[in-house]
This record gives sequence, C-alpha cells and structure tokens, in this order.
Amino acid sequence: MQNFEINSNQIDKIKKITLEEKNFRFKNLELFNASGFPNNRLEDWKFSDFKNIVYNNFDELDTKKVSSDFNKMDLLKDFEHNYIFLVNGNLHSSNFSYEDKNKIKINTYDKSIDYKISTNPLICLNHALAENGYSLEIEKNYKFKKVLVIYNFFTNDVKNKILNNKNKITIKENSELHVVEYTINETKFINNVYENIILEKNAKFKNLIVQSKKSDGFFYKFIKNKLLFNSESSNLIFSSGLKFNKLDLECDLTEENSRCNILSALFLNKNEHQEIKTLVNHLAPNCKSNQKVKNVLSTECKGVYQGKIYVKDIAQKTDAYQLSKALLLEDSAEFNSKPELEIYADDVKCSHGSSSGNIDEDSLHYLMTRGLNQKDSKNLLIKGFLNDVIDFIKSPSIKKFIESKLDQQINEY
Amino acid sequence: MLEIKNLKASINNKPILKGLNLNIKPGELHAIMGPNGSGKSTLANVLSGKNGYEVSGVLNYKGENLKEIPVEVRAQKGIFLAFQYPLEIPGVNTNIFLKTSLNSILKAKGDKELDSLAFLKLVREKSLELGIDEKFLSRQLNVGFSGGEKKKNEILQMKILEPYLSILDETDSGLDIDALKIIAKGVNSSRSSKKSFLVITHYQRLLDYIKPDFVHVLADGKIVKTGCGELAQELEKTGYTKLN
Repeated sequence: MQNFEINSNQIDKIKKITLEEKNFRFKNLELFNASGFPNNRLEDWKFSDFKNIVYNNFDELDTKKVSSDFNKMDLLKDFEHNYIFLVNGNLHSSNFSYEDKNKIKINTYDKSIDYKISTNPLICLNHALAENGYSLEIEKNYKFKKVLVIYNFFTNDVKNKILNNKNKITIKENSELHVVEYTINETKFINNVYENIILEKNAKFKNLIVQSKKSDGFFYKFIKNKLLFNSESSNLIFSSGLKFNKLDLECDLTEENSRCNILSALFLNKNEHQEIKTLVNHLAPNCKSNQKVKNVLSTECKGVYQGKIYVKDIAQKTDAYQLSKALLLEDSAEFNSKPELEIYADDVKCSHGSSSGNIDEDSLHYLMTRGLNQKDSKNLLIKGFLNDVIDFIKSPSIKKFIESKLDQQINEY
Repeated sequence: MLEIKNLKASINNKPILKGLNLNIKPGELHAIMGPNGSGKSTLANVLSGKNGYEVSGVLNYKGENLKEIPVEVRAQKGIFLAFQYPLEIPGVNTNIFLKTSLNSILKAKGDKELDSLAFLKLVREKSLELGIDEKFLSRQLNVGFSGGEKKKNEILQMKILEPYLSILDETDSGLDIDALKIIAKGVNSSRSSKKSFLVITHYQRLLDYIKPDFVHVLADGKIVKTGCGELAQELEKTGYTKLN
C-alpha cells in the first residue's frame, strides 16, 4: 500500500449529528489526512513506526462501516462475572445480574466533542470517524460485587478495515469497579480506540487487559484517566499475543491523595510488537504513582516502553515510581525503553529504573541440577520474572485465568 | 558409585583439575579438603555438569559415562549438588520449585508423582526432622534468605530428593554452630549402604559432626594425600602448607 487518505464523504454518512459536531469531525479528518499515519519522525512514535507497519502489512484498508451481526456468544466460565458485550466495538448487550441495576447506566457513546485538538494523528482519526463504543456510569456509593468483563469481540467482517471506537467510564463518589477487558479476534484489521475514564472522589477502578488468544489484529488505544480526590486507578496489562499493540496511557492526578498504578507482564513471541507508553501527570500534592513494566521477549519481536512522569510545581510530596525490566531470550529480540522525568516541585520522591538482560545461566544451571529439563527451568525463570506483577491480582480465580493465558504464550516459544 | 580416573578440567584454557583420581563406593562418605584455589568447587561443578569446562579422563557414575549425561538427567539418576552459593530465584515459590523438582525425578525413575497434599506432608515431615522452620518454604526460592537459611534449604532439598550421590560444596562455610548441627543431622540421617557422600570443606569443624570414611587433600588439581578421619585433625593443626 502506498498512500492512505480518507474521503470526507465518510463523515457525511454519519447520521444525526449537529453542524458543530460535523465541523469538529471535518477538522480532525483534515489533520489526519495532512499527516497520515504516525511515523517514527514523531517522538511519541519513534520506536513504533506505525505508518511503515501498516503499509508493510496491509494491501488494502478502508474505514467503511461493518455489520455487527453475529449470533454466537461464548462467555468465560473461569469466574462469575457481569458483562458488557461489544461486537466490532458496538455495544451489543450487557448483563449486570450480580448488581443493583439502578446504580449502573450503560449507553452507546454520548458523542461529546469537548476535546482538545490532538497532535496524535490516530486520535484525530478517532475524533473524525468514531461513532461506536460504550459509555458506562456507576452511581455514587456503589461497589461492584463481581467483576465486569467487557467482551471486545470482532467478527471476520472487520478484515482490512480500520475501526474507530470511543468509550467512557465514569465512577462516581465512593464507588468501585473492577473490569476485565477481554478481546476476542483473529482477523487482520486496525482498531483505534479512545477511552475516557473519570474517577470521582474516593472512587476505585481496576482494569485488567487481556485477550483470548493470538491475533493478527493491530491495536492502538489511548486511555485518558482523570482522577479526583483520593481516588485510585490500576491498569494491569497482560495483552500478550498481538501482532501489534500500543497502549497509550495518560493519567491525570488532579486532586490530592489520588493514586495510579500501571503494571504489565508481557510475553512476546515471533513477529509481535508491543508498546506501552505512559504519561503520569502529578498535578496536585500528595499523589502517588507506581509503574512496573515487565517484558519477556522471545525471537524476532519488539517491545517498547516510553514512560514519562510530570510533576507540576504545586505537586509537593509526590511519590512516583517507575520500573521497566526486560528479559531477552534471543539475540533477535529488541527492547527499547525511554524513561522521562519532568519535575517542577522541590519536595518529591521520584525514582525510575530500567534494565534488560538474558536468562541467567547460573540460575538455569541451579534449577537443572534439581532434575528440571532446560525448557521447564527456563519457563520457571520466565514465570518468576513476571510473577511480581501477576501477584497484584488478588482474586485467585482471575489470577489463575491470567496465568493460563500467559502459559499459552510461553509454551508456544 | 563414582569412579574418577585422571580427571582433567580446564576453563578458558586454564587447567584447574590436573589428573584427579577418586573412587567412592556405595555407603561411603568422602571428605575433600584443600586450600583455596585447589579445584574443590571445580570438581563439584564438573560432577554436576556445569557448562564451560573442558573435561577429559574417566568419569563413571554407576557404570555410566557421566560426561555424556545432561545436567538434569544426572539429577534424575540420583546426583545432587548442594551449592556453595545457592542462587536466588525471584518470583519462584520454594514449595512449587521443590515439588516440580521432586516430581521430575520421580517421573524419570518411573515412580508415581506426588500430588500437592502428599508433597506437603513429605516436606513437613522432613523439615520437622531437620528442625527447619517450614515457613520459609512459602517464600521465593532463596530470595532474602540468610546464608544459613540457604544452606539449610539445600540440605532439605537433599533430604526430599533422596539422591544416591550427594556432593556438598562447602555447605559448612559461614554457618553458626546450630546450623552446622542441622547440616550434619541432615547428612547423618541420610546415610545408608546405598547412599554416598562427597563433602567438600575447608575446615575440620564439620568433620566433628560427620564422620568420614576417607579424607582426601586436594592441592593444585590433584589429590595429594588420602587418609582417614585423623588426617583432617592433623591438617587443622599443621595447615596445608606443611603438606609438601
């Protein structure tokens, strides 16, 4: 594929929109068409040349709408859960049988356009074309009894398409929600998602990202977290097995005592490319952020971590931590790490570390002298390496579920 | 059990073992003493099958050429090395590791593997026998263990895996008297007519608690003197320098 441009009549086809919204969309489309897909000349994309990746992998690509028809819904049996079912990004159905339904509002995305113009071409593309997604709102003083699984199911109709989806989760005062986002897809396509997460005072949100099995999909997701007083968000990323995946997390700690955790444990196999990019903005005093990114890379794959911590001048007593560790199993694997700290307050604790290395031969020998063969010994060391992130999962059944997904990936190596 | 003839081993072209002879029969306990750099740990490493050594000479274990047997198969066939410096393996639970280890050995022998319950019972029994707090088994393997705890963990592994040939590489180094007694208890309670031991040590102290059948002195890659228990006491008085 050589050049990719989107015709503005795509926007004309979107029904029931105000003139204002239409103009917003046109403007964003113009910006996207002017720059095209992001390439490595953009600092944020220097390790993931998306334009190149797309052009090398797709002979054709379009943004036409796809049908959301399907009739087979396989639910997870590993643990009891509520669910939202998305088909090609469209809200298909939901079930909150374990919860008080009066406390939960679920809708298709509300199409608000109060967004700043972004310099990220994929966000422009999303603003221009997204018309599907979901919006979830949890009322005040409500703690979910069971986990909520968001099934993100893609049919084969999405082949060679770009799907733009927009989601929003709002958790009001004193409420708690635990989500497992579960993607089911095998087809080659591009999914470009913009997600807004708002945590009000004392709210807690845990988001665990995983997919059913290997996928030829190319995923980009921008998640904007806004945290108010004493709220806490945790993002746990276990999305191994994707051809391309970039998670772009922005976390605004806007009021005192808010806390965010970003943790990931990934195992990358041949021809897989994953990037985790974070921007944690400490905008108020006494906030805490914790980032731990662990990657195991097998052969001919690429892992990237770009993590930035920004501390505003008034954000005294900030406690920010960032660690990236990579275990490279073969010489053909590549890992890039770019930690950044930008600090304008003088009474803060910010630390960061980054390391990458091979399997320790002495440790391997030690395990083998106890009768374990080389493969089992390696697997044990790999799992040990990832375990401190997995231990963050408190529910035994969900932990077991995640471990089995990781095992699938590891055993393929 | 173990027959070593004219064993030579070098690492990065540097010869360390220079024609070592040693014969260990079933039921025997041999102690090897020697000054720093004499090749004691190299001998232990070569027996365990560690990579990086160029090895020549005869190395037979139960009639098989040990040089051709991969590391893990040596363990499955009953060779155990208690490490001088047991490695810390972060993220790996000691119990899970031990169970995997035991079951891979049982499986190789054609025996029935143990389920979690049976395994826990066995571990409890063995740690009680040695007077080891079983709490550290739920921790990550050797991570944050004190020197003594690491060594005790090695002996507990030895008790659980029940090897035919146990090689203890300076297991007594850096131990207090109580820990030393635990190590000795672990060895003494394992002795039988079918099991052999090769105890590598610097000091005679351990041999107050473990009675060797033979004591060898290793110097410059060769065994230069062999005797019974009294040899160790003699060395303690005179030191290694007087040997020549």
